[in-house]
Amino acid sequence: MKLPEQVTRLGIVIAAIVAVVLLLRLVILPETLFSARPHQAAAVEREMAKPLRHAGVAVCRECHAEQFELKYGGKHRNIGCENCHGPAASHAADENAAKPPLPREREACLACHGYDSSRPNGFPQVDPLEHRPRKKCVSCHDPHDPVPPKVPTECTGCHGRIERTKAMSTHALLPCASCHAVDERHMTEPRLALPTKPDSREVCGRCHVPGATDPAASKVTVDLTAHGGTYVCWECHYAHLPEGRK
Amino acid sequence: MSGAIPDSLNEQLSHQLSQVVGFIYPNEVETQWAILIVVYPYLTGIVAGAFILASLVKVFNVVEVQPIYRLALLTALSFMLVAGMPLQLHLGHPERAYEIFFTPQPTSAMAMFGFVYLWYLLGILLIEIWFEYRHQLVLMAQQSRGLLRGIYGALSLYSKDVSPEALAFDHKASKLITIVGIPSAFLLHGYVGFIFGSVKANPWWGSVLMPIVFLMSAIVSGIAMVMFLYILLSLVRNEKLDMRCLDKIGLFLLVAIIVDFTLEALDYIHRLYQSEESIGILTQLVSSKLFLSLVVVQLLLGMLLPLLILVLVRSVRFNEELRKLLYFTTSLLILVGIFSMRWNVVIGGQLYSKSLRGLMAYKMEITGIESLLTALALLALPFIILTVLFRLLPPRWMESHAPAAAN
Ligand code: HEC
Ligand code: HEC
Ligand code: HEC
Ligand code: HEC
Ligand code: HEC
Ligand code: HEC
Ligand code: HEC
Ligand code: HEC
Repeated sequence: MKLPEQVTRLGIVIAAIVAVVLLLRLVILPETLFSARPHQAAAVEREMAKPLRHAGVAVCRECHAEQFELKYGGKHRNIGCENCHGPAASHAADENAAKPPLPREREACLACHGYDSSRPNGFPQVDPLEHRPRKKCVSCHDPHDPVPPKVPTECTGCHGRIERTKAMSTHALLPCASCHAVDERHMTEPRLALPTKPDSREVCGRCHVPGATDPAASKVTVDLTAHGGTYVCWECHYAHLPEGRK
Repeated sequence: MSGAIPDSLNEQLSHQLSQVVGFIYPNEVETQWAILIVVYPYLTGIVAGAFILASLVKVFNVVEVQPIYRLALLTALSFMLVAGMPLQLHLGHPERAYEIFFTPQPTSAMAMFGFVYLWYLLGILLIEIWFEYRHQLVLMAQQSRGLLRGIYGALSLYSKDVSPEALAFDHKASKLITIVGIPSAFLLHGYVGFIFGSVKANPWWGSVLMPIVFLMSAIVSGIAMVMFLYILLSLVRNEKLDMRCLDKIGLFLLVAIIVDFTLEALDYIHRLYQSEESIGILTQLVSSKLFLSLVVVQLLLGMLLPLLILVLVRSVRFNEELRKLLYFTTSLLILVGIFSMRWNVVIGGQLYSKSLRGLMAYKMEITGIESLLTALALLALPFIILTVLFRLLPPRWMESHAPAAAN
């Protein structure tokens, strides 16, 4: 059968479109446009071409064992050298070519320790306006082993995180002693005289039942017989941050 | 340390936050899919609906609606040409659109949608229109001169054959394409619903009924649009309306609305009866933020009132003028109602928090890319294209110019 004229014409148009698409797809457009592989290869090449700027703690250790050991035993153990000293690959390759800077300004420490409510509970933070203003942090704290300059005599010295957490909570004004009875000896030989810990719901009930007589009692009260079933209160409320979820 | 957010953004944010009810997640303040994504399923729906109306003539031989066959086809085409634009504007990189076709991504429903679109436009709509108009194009090329002659010649692909066999072939071909076209039109709009329906993280969208609800509402809106245009054109050109045709369209509209209403009602009843955990917030959504657009505009004005009018028109013997007026009102009400339905789906789905505990607010911009003005421009554009198409391919040209009656 002879093809009708219009079919031939339409066929030519369609064939032309298909041909253009195939031409574009197979000949003209670059492979990188369709396949992930050359794309990735190009990306890896591009990244590899960038100069190495960090050397890593292990390299620094070879020449700076003293600072390394010091830092390793202290609270900054998890902070890499180059976090503070900046990228130092060129210095590690040739120690005289480039000297890493010494970040002595207050701002350098405040980047991590300045007060910011979104930091994790208990993270050591200071208010820059209150905490020894204008003096360099490094004049009192050794950056490689940051300890407070004198041994604290309070509970903070050893239970800093609890103290700091509590300080931000609704229980901020309660002294530790309102819930823990502490023997003198605990301050010097802590493990030989452990303080008491609350052991019943009544300890909390002292301040949280309607009509509580404790001078520090809370206005926020619960029904001691019903609230929280028979569980002890600290199964659900962390006593040092009671409004938070445990 | 923080606080580098510009004031205008801050202002916007605090304004948005003041409209929030209950608890929401921080990244939910902004409505990601805004007015343009409402316009897009609306336009696509009209395409599918108009085409399905046209196919009644070819496939099911409903002779009464013959007068609007070409009108329906051209309506479908002019809305189709605009339907992709809101997406392009929303995504902001129209120059990359072609990549969808060169890097097919079969696991992504959205990516494959490009092919559904292309197939429908090139494979169905244009070819069907070409066969339908070929005879006229050949004659127009012969009877005009100058530039127009060139245009018509090119449009007819320089074919000349108007022998009875060739015309009979045209007829057969366009019938065949329509047969393939119906499932394609179903696919086109069912697919839009599928994309929403398969978002399982969003209980307002994630429903298997979604594609078919979208499809039925598409048919309703497409029929209403053709009816609206048919009446409007007769007024503008002072031509006499074929009342038999109009009554028939009215009947189809009535049936489509009933099916659409049933499906949507089923969807809601099903949700209420299942009472999944989202039902609380959805009830709150419908009774507060969506009350006007869903209960009043979509349901009462856009569905029940038209239903009532159409039933009345069929049961009471109104005179022609009144019937015309009622049909005109109905089609307008439906067009607004279906737009509202798209709004309720797209915007509504983003007005409640994934925590199921709070409601957000959407504030439409007036100017800018994703704004009211752009939306209005996009809604007007199909009518402009349609006007041009009407000039270029007058639907009733054959009646006055053809040497012998066609068809
Ligand atoms: C090959 C051995 C070597 C390596 C590896 C090395 N350093 Fe040094 N670094 C030195 C020497 C030697 C000096 C002392 C130079 C001087 O006193 O003039 C020095 C000095 C410094 C200083 C003090 C600069 C000053 O102005 O006083 C800093 C800070 C420093 N290094 C950091 C680092 C860090 C961080 C790394 C790891 C990325 C590192 N170094 C790796 C050998 C090394
Ligand atoms: C928390 C930030 C911080 C980290 C981490 C840190 N440094 Fe320092 N480092 C400093 C500051 C600040 C000084 C300057 C101290 C001063 O002038 O009193 C310094 C001084 C030095 C000096 C000069 C000699 C000295 O001891 O004063 C060397 C060498 C050095 N650091 C190496 C290292 C190496 C190696 C590491 C990793 C093992 C490291 N630092 C990690 C902040 C840091
Ligand atoms: C990159 C972030 C970072 C920088 C910069 C930094 N620190 Fe720290 N600092 C830490 C971390 C982490 C800890 C350990 C916190 C913990 O134990 O929970 C810490 C602990 C401390 C402590 C101990 C607090 C306590 O509970 O006993 C002091 C003091 C301290 N840093 C001082 C400084 C000083 C001074 C500087 C500036 C030279 C500095 N830090 C720079 C992150 C940093
Ligand atoms: C004049 C000495 C001095 C200077 C300067 C100083 N500190 Fe301290 N810092 C102390 C002492 C003493 C403590 C012990 C607790 C207290 O007295 O507040 C301390 C405690 C801290 C703590 C632990 C806080 C806690 O709640 O456990 C941090 C962190 C700290 N300092 C960081 C800094 C930073 C950062 C700077 C610089 C911005 C700085 N300090 C400057 C003396 C100093
Ligand atoms: C010199 C450091 C130090 C000081 C100061 C200190 N503690 Fe302790 N505390 C310890 C150690 C060590 C433990 C034992 C921790 C363990 O076994 O895990 C401990 C345990 C505790 C416990 C838990 C007991 C248990 O049965 O688990 C409480 C409560 C406590 N301390 C409260 C306090 C209070 C309140 C203060 C201040 C009045 C204080 N401590 C001061 C070092 C100290
Ligand atoms: C409102 C009462 C209350 C106050 C105030 C309080 N604690 Fe506690 N503390 C508790 C309870 C309850 C526990 C948990 C007991 C258990 O788990 O058996 C606890 C446990 C502890 C523990 C054991 C380790 C742990 O975290 O479970 C330590 C250490 C401790 N407290 C230290 C302190 C220190 C230091 C202070 C003051 C800064 C303090 N507490 C203030 C109620 C309190
Ligand atoms: C010495 C009295 C006292 C004791 C003992 C005490 N609290 Fe409190 N509690 C308070 C005060 C004061 C507040 C602050 C709320 C206010 O303004 O009244 C508070 C606040 C709270 C809140 C937060 C209420 C809110 O505002 O949401 C909780 C939860 C809570 N306490 C739980 C406990 C638990 C659990 C215990 C036992 C481990 C406990 N409390 C023991 C005095 C006490
Ligand atoms: C099974 C878990 C559970 C236990 C056990 C529990 N609580 Fe609570 N508590 C909660 C929860 C959850 C809330 C928050 C309730 C709410 O918002 O309705 C709460 C709230 C509170 C509040 C604040 C009430 C308010 O009106 O804001 C106080 C005070 C409190 N608890 C004290 C206690 C005390 C004291 C105990 C021990 C006698 C206790 N809780 C035991 C779960 C518990």
